[in-house]
Amino acid sequence: MRPLVLLRQPPALQKEAMDIQSGMRIGPFEVFGPIQPAVSTPRRYGQHHFPGRLIVVEGIDGSGKSTQLSLLHKWLQSKHYGVVFSEWNSSPLVKDTTKLGKKKKMLTPATFSLIHATDFADRTERSILPLLKAGALVLCDRYIYTAFARDVARGMDRGWVRDLYAFAVRPTIPFYFRVPLETAISRLNDARDGFKFYEAGLDLGLSDDAEESFRLFQGRILSEYEAMIPEFGLTVIDATLPIEVQQAQVRGIVSTHLETARELRLQP
Amino acid sequence: MRETYGKLLPGMRTADLAGKLIVIEGTDGAGRTTQMNLLKPWLEEQGHAVLDTGMTRSVLAGEGIRRAKEGNNLGRVTQSLFYATDFIDRLENEITPALRAGFVVLTDRYVYSLMARAIVRGMDPHWIRSIYSLALKPDAVFYLRLSIDELIPRVVFSRGFDYWESGMDLFPGHDVYESFRNYQAALLTEFDCLGEEFGFQTIDATQSAESVFAQLKAGISQILEAHPEPQAHAAARAMNRTAASVPLAPSATENQRRRFERELLGAIRAGFTGDLLPVGAVPLHAGANGNGHGNGKGNGHSRHSG
Repeated sequence: MRPLVLLRQPPALQKEAMDIQSGMRIGPFEVFGPIQPAVSTPRRYGQHHFPGRLIVVEGIDGSGKSTQLSLLHKWLQSKHYGVVFSEWNSSPLVKDTTKLGKKKKMLTPATFSLIHATDFADRTERSILPLLKAGALVLCDRYIYTAFARDVARGMDRGWVRDLYAFAVRPTIPFYFRVPLETAISRLNDARDGFKFYEAGLDLGLSDDAEESFRLFQGRILSEYEAMIPEFGLTVIDATLPIEVQQAQVRGIVSTHLETARELRLQP
Repeated sequence: MRETYGKLLPGMRTADLAGKLIVIEGTDGAGRTTQMNLLKPWLEEQGHAVLDTGMTRSVLAGEGIRRAKEGNNLGRVTQSLFYATDFIDRLENEITPALRAGFVVLTDRYVYSLMARAIVRGMDPHWIRSIYSLALKPDAVFYLRLSIDELIPRVVFSRGFDYWESGMDLFPGHDVYESFRNYQAALLTEFDCLGEEFGFQTIDATQSAESVFAQLKAGISQILEAHPEPQAHAAARAMNRTAASVPLAPSATENQRRRFERELLGAIRAGFTGDLLPVGAVPLHAGANGNGHGNGKGNGHSRHSG
C-alpha cells in the first residue's frame, strides 16, 4: 500500500497553486497520488478543458432568457448534438431543504445563499462536470451570476459570495439578457398573478407591497448584473428585441463554438 | 466585543453578545458526547443557562443532510456546503441569540471539524476558510486528542464501521479498515494543523472520562470567572431590561430556573430575541409549563399566572 499523502502541507511549504485547469480542483482527491501543493489564494472558476460546452443564460425574471434557452435547446437537438438542460435550484438531494426553508420563510440572506450554493454544487459534481467530460452541450438556466446578483442584493459580501462559488467551472458562453426593469415587470404581470416571497425580496422588508418590493429588489439585482458584464465578460443580448432576432443572435454566437463539438449520431 | 473570523453576517450585531461560546472538538470516539453530558448539568448547577448544540441539529438542514447521507451519493463540495448551511442556520438562530441572552453556549464541534473534513476531502483550505469567515470566534476551544491507534478500538469496537466515519466516500472499493485508518489519520493531522492555527487547548483524551472532565471544568471556570455573575441573571435582564430586578436565580428554586431556561430556549429556537419579549414575561410561576412555546406564536410567552 502506498503511503497516505495529505493535501495540506505546513504553511511554509505552500508555494504553487493547484492546477485547476482541468476542473480537477473538486475532482478526485489524490490521497494516494503525488503531493498536491495547496493553493495560496482562492482560485476561481477554472476554464474546463473537457470536450463538452457549457452555455448559460442569465438575466432578471421576465427577461425572456428561459424562452431563448428552450429555443436554443430545440435547435441543437435538431442538429443532433447531445444536449442536456440543467435548471437552477433543481438538485434532487437539496431541493427539499430549499423548499422547506422557503415555505417556512426561515431563510436568511446567508442560508439562502448557502442552500443555493449546495444545490449548485450537487448539480456541478454529479451532472454538469461528468456531462462536460462526456462531451455534452450543457445548457444552464441561471448559473453562478444569479447567485452573485441575488445574494449581494440581499446584503451578502461580494467577495464572500464569489469565493463560495470558486468550485464552479467557467461557462463557454455566459449570455446575459438585458432588459429594463419596467419591461420585465409588465411581462411578469401579464404572465402570472402575484410575486413570490423570495423573488420579490419580501424577506428584506424593503416594502410591504409585493410589486414595489419586487421593483426595489430586482432593481438592485439589475445593477449587480450590469457591474458583472465587464467583470466576467458576459455576452449581452438586448432582450427588448423580437424573440426571433435574439434567437438568431444566440444561435450565431453558439455556432462559433460548435465546430469541434461532438455530435450525437442519433440517426442510423 | 465579540469578533468573527473576518466577515459579518448581514444585520449581525456583535456588540451585545454577552454569553460565552465554548467549543468541544475532537475526532470520532474522543468522548465529546460523554463530556457534553457531564458539562451541561455542572454548568447549570452553578447557575449558568446552557444552550448545547452540535452538527446537523439545525431546523433548516439537519434532516436534509441525514437524508442525503443515506444515499451514499453525496459529493464532496455538496457535503461541505450542506454542513455550512446547517452551521450558519444554527449560528443565526440558536448560537447568536443565546449569546445575546447571556447563555453559556456549549457546542459539540464547531467550524474546525467542518474545515478538517472538507480539507481531507480535497477542498481548497482557503475556500473553506472563506465560507466560515462568518463564524464567531469562540471563547475557548477544547480539543480532545487521541492518537490513531487509540481511536480505532474506541470507535470500531463500540459501533463498528460507519460509511462516512470511515471516509468510504474518499476510498470507494477499499478495505473498510484501511479506509477508516487512512481517513481518521488524515483528520487527526489536519486537526493538529488547525489546533496551532486557532489556538486549541489540547486535552489528552486517553485519560479517564473523570480526569478529562476535571480538566475541562478547570478550563471553563477560568473563562467564566471573568464574569462571576450568574448567567441566568444576565439572561433575565436581556429579556426584560426595564425590570432588571426580577429575582431570578438566587431565590428561584432549581425547577423554576430550569423551566425558565427551557422557555427561553424555546423562545430562542422559535426565533425570538430577548428584545421582543414583553415586559413581565419571565415565567417564574410554578403553574406555567414549557409547552406551546416553540410554536412561533409571540403570545405564548406573555402568559402570567398572577
